[in-house]
Amino acid sequence: MIRRNFLRGMLGGSAVCVALPWLESTASATGGFPQRFVTWMWANGNRPERWTPMGEGSEWLLSDELMPLMPVKDKVSIVTGLSVLYPNNVPHWSGIGGMLTGAEVGGDDEDWVVHAPTLDQLVAAEVGNGTIYRSLQVGIDTEECFSWNGPNAQNPAEKDPFALYERLFGPTFVEPGSGGLVDPSLGYRRSALDAVMADITRLQNRVGAADRERLEQHLTGVRELELRLARLQDDPPDYEACVRPDSPFPEYPDIDGRPQLIARNAAQNELVAMALACDLTRVVTVQFAKPVGNTLYPDASDGHHNQTHNEPGGQPEVHAITTFCIERFSELVQRLDAIPEGDGTLLDHSICLATTDVSEGRTHSLDEMPVIVAGSGCGNLVMGQHLRYNRLNSNHLGLTLLRGMGLVQGSWGEDAYEVTDGLSELEA
Amino acid sequence: MSTLITLLLACSGPDEGYDAGPEPAVTAPEPALRRLTIRQYQNTVRDLFGEDIVPPSSLEPDATLEGLPSLGAAISSTSPLGVERYEVGAIQLADQRFAGAVDPLPCQPSGVSDTACATAYIEAEGRRIFRRPLSEEEIGQYVGLLTSVASDAADFRAGARFALVAMLQSPAFVYRSEHAAGTLDPFELASRMSYFLWNGPPDEALLAAAEAGELATAEGRSAQVDRMMDDPRFRRGVRDYFIELFQLGGLASLGKDPMVFPNASPELWASAKEQTLYGIEDLVVDRDADYRELMTSRDVWIDRRLAALYGIPAPTLDGFAWATLPEDSGRRGLLGHASVLGLHAHAVSSSATRRGKFMRGTLLCQIVPPPPADVDTSIPEPDDAPTLRDRLQVHQEDPTCAGCHIILDSVGLGLENFDGVGRWRDRENDFPIDPSGVLDGQEFADAVELGAAIASHDNFGPCFADRLASYAIGHLPTDGEEEWIHWLADDFVGNGFHVKRLMRQIAVSDAFAKGGAR
Repeated sequence: MIRRNFLRGMLGGSAVCVALPWLESTASATGGFPQRFVTWMWANGNRPERWTPMGEGSEWLLSDELMPLMPVKDKVSIVTGLSVLYPNNVPHWSGIGGMLTGAEVGGDDEDWVVHAPTLDQLVAAEVGNGTIYRSLQVGIDTEECFSWNGPNAQNPAEKDPFALYERLFGPTFVEPGSGGLVDPSLGYRRSALDAVMADITRLQNRVGAADRERLEQHLTGVRELELRLARLQDDPPDYEACVRPDSPFPEYPDIDGRPQLIARNAAQNELVAMALACDLTRVVTVQFAKPVGNTLYPDASDGHHNQTHNEPGGQPEVHAITTFCIERFSELVQRLDAIPEGDGTLLDHSICLATTDVSEGRTHSLDEMPVIVAGSGCGNLVMGQHLRYNRLNSNHLGLTLLRGMGLVQGSWGEDAYEVTDGLSELEA
Repeated sequence: MSTLITLLLACSGPDEGYDAGPEPAVTAPEPALRRLTIRQYQNTVRDLFGEDIVPPSSLEPDATLEGLPSLGAAISSTSPLGVERYEVGAIQLADQRFAGAVDPLPCQPSGVSDTACATAYIEAEGRRIFRRPLSEEEIGQYVGLLTSVASDAADFRAGARFALVAMLQSPAFVYRSEHAAGTLDPFELASRMSYFLWNGPPDEALLAAAEAGELATAEGRSAQVDRMMDDPRFRRGVRDYFIELFQLGGLASLGKDPMVFPNASPELWASAKEQTLYGIEDLVVDRDADYRELMTSRDVWIDRRLAALYGIPAPTLDGFAWATLPEDSGRRGLLGHASVLGLHAHAVSSSATRRGKFMRGTLLCQIVPPPPADVDTSIPEPDDAPTLRDRLQVHQEDPTCAGCHIILDSVGLGLENFDGVGRWRDRENDFPIDPSGVLDGQEFADAVELGAAIASHDNFGPCFADRLASYAIGHLPTDGEEEWIHWLADDFVGNGFHVKRLMRQIAVSDAFAKGGAR
């Protein structure tokens, strides 16, 4: 009943920068580095008139709200003029749901429901199965995360930097080359999980279809955990850039009623970057703040969502908040770009999508959805561009990103808005 | 909300002894597994292992349906992170259990392969954790786990500890199963009763009653309900229900701008929550009084912080005590509680719309749709319109907004004498506040009359019965259960709004006991 180390020796092969299911990855495209996928969401949209860059193609200028991307301008592409065409039934959630699930969001504003899994989980199903964490969800000012395996199956975010550190780099983390001792209790824990899985399977035979599906989601989580413990009994891949980061502070209490967003973001970014560098995961979803969230940003006179509706005129505070958020995203992108991997950087081996739940928050508009793509994903996407469309179905973007991650994907999207073509200008 | 908008209402009157007639037959939907909410998980491990046990600090966040985590628990699944947290929690709990003063083993093991002692432990511990006796197959599985770890580690207790780690992650622990369509088995019913009345697991007496078949009759269930309502855990159950109903959990992270509300602090919100919860505990558990009192009472259970906020002398220097608000304070009942006023407001101001939504939705079960998309929802600046009533006028003049905003704001503005943290004010931006309005035909001059108008509203009692019954059965009532809800509401309203009576009526009913006749 005790199982130990059976995977030892199976995990030595180098990962590669092609998005094949992990165990099949034997070829080497760019020196044996895995391809990563990051989704990054901020809340409540932007000020559209201060977002869209001047110029198109490779000749373009950063706008006010995109100015924080200056240091990485050549490694990002801005896509404007995309629309979520599904009915805007549930303000905010229809928008982020349309962007990331390619489907309508059902229900009403209190009890809405997604119809399909999110991009990050589609990618994780393909590229995440070889790593210790299939995917990671991280929150800066929220525990909610728009990451779904399907209806009613949400992946919550880890908001506490210290808890995230303990999870990723706590006692179970073995630094490459350190020859750390394998914890003998790992085998017992796996045996306990075997019993749990047997219990779940028995219960599945006694319940209705809906509960069987819910238990299947649970079982998937247990299987992942079991596999993770098995891998912890092995050495993780030996990447030069992988070191145990410094521990974050145990707490980041609010100061004068406001969250420490800059410090929290920096701490989480460092952990995310190192989790990717150490190949603990290849798929990360960051929720900076949640849709409809009322975060009190620095210097703002009211919560964010309130301000999008109540601030008059050109909404200078809403603009400042959007710019602040893009600055935080830029920090993550710069951090990924600072990690050398072979001839390039970790960012070059990644695709990062930054987006939000509406364009203009005041009207809940789903036209001109804000989109930033950072990192070419091993050269699969063309960076350094502003691509301008006219009310184009956002599902074209989703399909491009899935294909950019190497998924063999004929089409994407639900019902009338299913598409079979990506954004050709973005695809290399 | 479910069925109440079209509810046929009973004549309400204070006279008790009203007979709502026999319980109607119901058709219930397919039962669903209910994941333990975070509160239930914490309560459960404390009841199982003692008050000193430290529950895991993080668990899968609750999902909600119509604001209630206990309803969301029946539709959501568990994420990989949730599974991971269950494992971390199970290990921490098992470590504490085996490091505690009380030996969890019922026997002295003769060696690492003492299967008799292993079986005795698994049977006893498993029955408590799974809230039912284990099957032969389960006993075999866990005894096998125990002895194999024990022999590998050369330590019987290590084996027992990891068997406990496994049981605490089992779906039999983290979900409450009600799998049999139409008939709950006695142990499923015992859990239904205990989580409804205690928000925790059945105790030995309740499991024994289930085992002896005593829960099959209304008399048997009634005897258990009597016993359970006299138990201190009933107070916890009542509190936990109202935390869900009024969403008081939000007070723990309520952010207010300190520049605007310097007196707001986490401590204030903790006090505000206690005021509301203890007030309800006193009303429901200790005095079993008319629930409408909650809307009209001048008696408040407060500490110095709240006394300062309410502008009255502190009744005690330490902790909490009862005080009576002055006749002319303008503050009465729940609508004057800082908890409700602070929660349903903005970080820098009050909110007639949010407060209106609380009164309409939570207290009266009236649906108010969200704002339509692609509509400019901004309101003018105070420079142009000094009071919130003036500013919200734009929503009443715009036909796209007026339909809903008239419904919400007309009542929400009745609480405008209370600012975003619940402090009294006569004026806003130096202009007098007009709190008068009309609630579904009932005129009110101010917050005091508004509270009374809600208490006497036709929906008030039936809405409460609907919410409580939904909580008890773990799903929104379906068409086949509508008559049962009407019957409960009728009895509640007809007999003077006694919450304990309503809880008893639910817990003893056939519909509750069977999970619906088929």
